[in-house]
Amino acid sequence: MIAVRAADDRALASPLGRTSPVAKLVLVGAWVAGLALTTDPRPPLVLGAVGLAGAVVLGRVRPASLVAGLAPLVFAALTVGFFNALLNPANANPAFAAVTSLGPIRLTAPAISAGVALSCRVGAVAALGIAFGLTTDTTRLVDALVQQAHMPERFAYGALAAFQAIPRLAEDLVALREARRIRGLRASWHPRILVGLLVLAIRRADRLAVAMDARGFGSGQRTRFRSVEWSLADGVLLGVGLAVLVAAMALGRGA
Amino acid sequence: MPAAIGGRLDGELLVGGCQAGRDPQAQVARRVGIVFQDPESQLVMERVDDEVAFGLESLGWSAGEMQARVPVALADLGLAGFGRRRTARLSGGEQQRLAIAGALAAAPGILVLDEPTANLDPAGTRELAARLAAMRAVRSTTIVLVEHRADLVWPLADLILALGADGRPIALGTPAEMLERYAARLAGSGVWLPDSFVGRAGDPAPPDPREPGRVAGAPLLEVRGVGFAWVGGGQPIFRAVDLDLGEGDRVALLGPNGSGKSTLGRIASGLLRPTTGSVRLAGNDPARLPARELARRVGYVFQDPERQFVAATVRAEMEAGLDAAGRAGVAEVAASLGLPLEAFGERSPYTLSGGEQRRLSLAPALARRPSLLVLDEPTYGQDRHGYDRLVDFFRARLGSGTAILVATHDPRLVADLGARPFELDGASSGVVAA
Repeated sequence: MIAVRAADDRALASPLGRTSPVAKLVLVGAWVAGLALTTDPRPPLVLGAVGLAGAVVLGRVRPASLVAGLAPLVFAALTVGFFNALLNPANANPAFAAVTSLGPIRLTAPAISAGVALSCRVGAVAALGIAFGLTTDTTRLVDALVQQAHMPERFAYGALAAFQAIPRLAEDLVALREARRIRGLRASWHPRILVGLLVLAIRRADRLAVAMDARGFGSGQRTRFRSVEWSLADGVLLGVGLAVLVAAMALGRGA
Repeated sequence: MPAAIGGRLDGELLVGGCQAGRDPQAQVARRVGIVFQDPESQLVMERVDDEVAFGLESLGWSAGEMQARVPVALADLGLAGFGRRRTARLSGGEQQRLAIAGALAAAPGILVLDEPTANLDPAGTRELAARLAAMRAVRSTTIVLVEHRADLVWPLADLILALGADGRPIALGTPAEMLERYAARLAGSGVWLPDSFVGRAGDPAPPDPREPGRVAGAPLLEVRGVGFAWVGGGQPIFRAVDLDLGEGDRVALLGPNGSGKSTLGRIASGLLRPTTGSVRLAGNDPARLPARELARRVGYVFQDPERQFVAATVRAEMEAGLDAAGRAGVAEVAASLGLPLEAFGERSPYTLSGGEQRRLSLAPALARRPSLLVLDEPTYGQDRHGYDRLVDFFRARLGSGTAILVATHDPRLVADLGARPFELDGASSGVVAA
């Protein structure tokens, strides 16, 4: 069973939950782009911390769900950083002194700082993703993408329906593997499992497409049950967010 | 008829003056609402009220009209106050009523229901039948119900149209006329007749229900104190279940959707490890058996045959996992299932009809003669002929000493197999009815 971590009602009613998902998406995109441009560990630390603080204070996300979502990703970020440091070519360069060494393995200062910076960046991107996910309602995100970002309706609502089907895809995978075991076949992995998953997914997508068509989807001008309007809060969020980005980047540049 | 369906339409189908299949879909959608078999794969939105509004948005209703209409449509189907709930968390019966609310929100005039109870438990089916009866009493909507289950159709219908296997109409009349004039023809074509009628006019194959079995042969399966909870899933689905099956024995797992019938079947067949308690199959823990050993002892028939196919052709599907001796017998297995290899051997299992897929899914049970056969809703969606064929098949397996554990909502199957009912009430331990 796959648990899709979703925003709770308390977070959705918060100031951050009520801002336009498109504004949040643009801001997260800008911050991630900024993180890609820096190799200094300080901007990601600042942006990640501000993102998490914003989720808790403005988004009223329970710190416990933040930690639960973030823990595996922080672990992944540390692992990535560690191996990046270990495999850094600077370690083989005799011009740099070894900070520590174990037999033939040397760790040099530039390699360590590159690894730390990478960990910070990966961790910050994960933190921003979690903060966005835990303060954003999926349906409202799609409504906003259609109404404010003018994404094609067929694509957007199709993607929303597909997103809802993810847990069922996981159930299909379990069933297909069980079917192999009960036939005496190696259950772990086989290309036929992929074929089976594909067939089941296509069948389901077919049924859904027919159901959507039967309700007149895509046959005329669509009206809105829930309209997503730009508000002053969106402007404030974007303005303050971009200012924080500039400040954090300046901190990195100044080093 | 939605445009997404391929195929060819002959003749003309007029719905309220509008040509189905030719005129724009929105015009047809205004006049006809459709509800499909599988509640989960027809829901689009995350929340209940958005789901009801989805069709109205497509038809161009104004926001104000929708705000007024959505709560009324939900209340009409007994879902008042459900607006902000997540559609994925509703029960199957609630999801199906939500699908009807969504179809009826635009007041279409005609409501088409395609086997709406196929995936529902008895409680969900009763609720749905009650709602349909209430709608019939008001007579505001024409209801077209496509259904196998006679006990659902006969009390609700004003007019019944029966189709033969080739899709051509074979009888048309009021429920009373259908039984008076056409009973023999309907029964001959495999159409289910209501239970109250069966036996009165010489129903062709009322299989004599067996005496409910007791633990007969040597002990085969011992389930002791078994409980199960999904990792991180909180509350156990069931706890402290004790169950015994002897050789040639049969037990029916009963209970509402979500009570863990399939889960218990998977635990008994070694596909899933219980959270607590132990399972012994002829002395072994089935979950620890190597796959080859397990396959020799246990057969499992899935509710959806497409979830159990492991090979690209019917022949390879039947041969999968068998040794040379087993493969030599495949032609015979295929013939006795009505899937002769000359005609079906090289076809893909996915291109077979529903009935053919169901029969193909029985091949392992025939080729290996396992001592335990676990069945998950094996008869759903079957016409009378298909059902009788399955019951004959299972009885032949019982006769040769195979024990059967079946998860089902179908009381007829329980009676026809002479199975001991085992109730899972959705909270605690199972109870064997005496």
